[in-house]
Amino acid sequence: MLRIETLNKSYGDRAVLQDLTLHIPPGEVYGLLGSNGAGKTTTINIICNLLKADRGTILIDNQPVSNATQPLIGIAPQENLLYKTLTCEENLQFFGRIYGLRGRSLHQQVEKCLDAVHLASRARSPVETLSGGMQRRMNIAVALVHQPKLVILDEPTTGLDIEARYEIWELIRTLQQQGITVLLTTHLLDEAERLSSRIGILKGGRIVAEGSMEQLRQRIPAQEIVIVETADEQQAIARAQAHGFTERRYGNDLAFWLPEPLELQEIIARFDGITLKSIARQPVRLEHIYIEVTQAEP
Amino acid sequence: MKYWRETFAVAQRILIELLRRRRSLVFWSIFPISVLLLNGYILAERANLTMAQAFESAAPSTLVGAALFFSCLGGSVATVVAEREQQTLKRLFISPISGTSYFLGIFLAHSFIGIGQTLLVYATAAFWGAQFNGSVLLGGCIIVLSIISYVGVGFVLGTQLARRTEDVNALVAAFGVPLLILGGAFLPTSLFPETLLNVAEFNPIYHMNEALLGVSAGGDEITEIEPHFLFLCAFAIAMVIAGWLSYRRMLSVERRL
Repeated sequence: MLRIETLNKSYGDRAVLQDLTLHIPPGEVYGLLGSNGAGKTTTINIICNLLKADRGTILIDNQPVSNATQPLIGIAPQENLLYKTLTCEENLQFFGRIYGLRGRSLHQQVEKCLDAVHLASRARSPVETLSGGMQRRMNIAVALVHQPKLVILDEPTTGLDIEARYEIWELIRTLQQQGITVLLTTHLLDEAERLSSRIGILKGGRIVAEGSMEQLRQRIPAQEIVIVETADEQQAIARAQAHGFTERRYGNDLAFWLPEPLELQEIIARFDGITLKSIARQPVRLEHIYIEVTQAEP
Repeated sequence: MKYWRETFAVAQRILIELLRRRRSLVFWSIFPISVLLLNGYILAERANLTMAQAFESAAPSTLVGAALFFSCLGGSVATVVAEREQQTLKRLFISPISGTSYFLGIFLAHSFIGIGQTLLVYATAAFWGAQFNGSVLLGGCIIVLSIISYVGVGFVLGTQLARRTEDVNALVAAFGVPLLILGGAFLPTSLFPETLLNVAEFNPIYHMNEALLGVSAGGDEITEIEPHFLFLCAFAIAMVIAGWLSYRRMLSVERRL
């Protein structure tokens, strides 16, 4: 559905995208991760034909990016770009007409989109009267109204409370079940982990790691991770290293990679003689992989 | 078909928004009526005219000089600025809508408002006994050209100069009010000194005013208002081109997510 080959873009001397290559097959939810300035927004701008690449190609449904590919894309930007005084129905009707829908098909699409985002009961409510989560869902509904083949969700849950976030996650899962290709950019690693079929980590304008969660887990030679809290960190580190554990820091947490699965009692036994305030086991998660990959790459 | 569909969608959306908010529509109704009443009474008193004659003279200048200026120029600027402020312009940039349709949509929406104001102003004048015997077609052409000119200028100001809502008021106060006075919207141009009249000839509002006054109140034909009409045509075309170029420039500068 989306093929990006060796995409390059610079702003003056600053290279924002460097030989970015990305393939998303139809029906996949692809999570694109990266810190601010990694090149996510530039990539989206080029996909949407809002910005020209210096080099490289993008094919959407086998067509090079142009004005003709715009109807193939539905985008829900970070901000809720909606006409606040119009009702949900009127917003969808307006954008549907802009994309060439009319008559019965417009009416049906508006109903379908409102159902999809669970806002059918608020169809006649002005957008400004909706909660933040509802407005975000409407923002996604507008992206869907013209039945695009590729939906780009740019940080769809940023700033939402947990309930609203769950609603958006449910919606993304529904899109996936309907076979819609989704490019999801997010800073929330648990969100990408839960929703994405594959994940790409962008750094310095390049994909530095890519694959399913299972494939990405191979990037860390650990079966699981233990987080240790102790007053005597130096001694704990020395002891852990003697047992083949690899030391890592995640924020303020002192963590160790375990090369093989161990029972908790066995792990505690490795720190015999050291006073541990707490010890917790964790599976290898996307945040561990993300930190590892982005810190390793220049 | 695509252009018409997009144009209609934009116009419908603007009108629905205005109807929802109501405030602008109410003000755009109150303002021309109050200006018309003031102009009518002043003219009747100071020029020793009957009320009917005074309102026949006051209606055209009130319409093109006061009503359409604020609704079509101010309204267009406010539409573009509001789109920028609530960032819906970005949503339009990523859609297939053309700049032409967007301009035509704003023009169409404000034409509806302009027509409404025309009916309001002329109905109020008629209430005071005013009679208008000029060509309705020619008068309509002048009104449409005035609306095109104002929307074009509004597009230029909205896309290039006004970034926020406050800027709209500042622009209207700084340039609009002096141009309105110089155009004869509040004072008849017959009271102007010669030097001011020479300056007024560069003011499109003066030509809108003189052309409509001639047709509407004086029953003039096109030959009698030809210089004003030609100036107005040229200005309307220039503003459409300037508006279109401004939109293109805005696209190249702001077309990003």
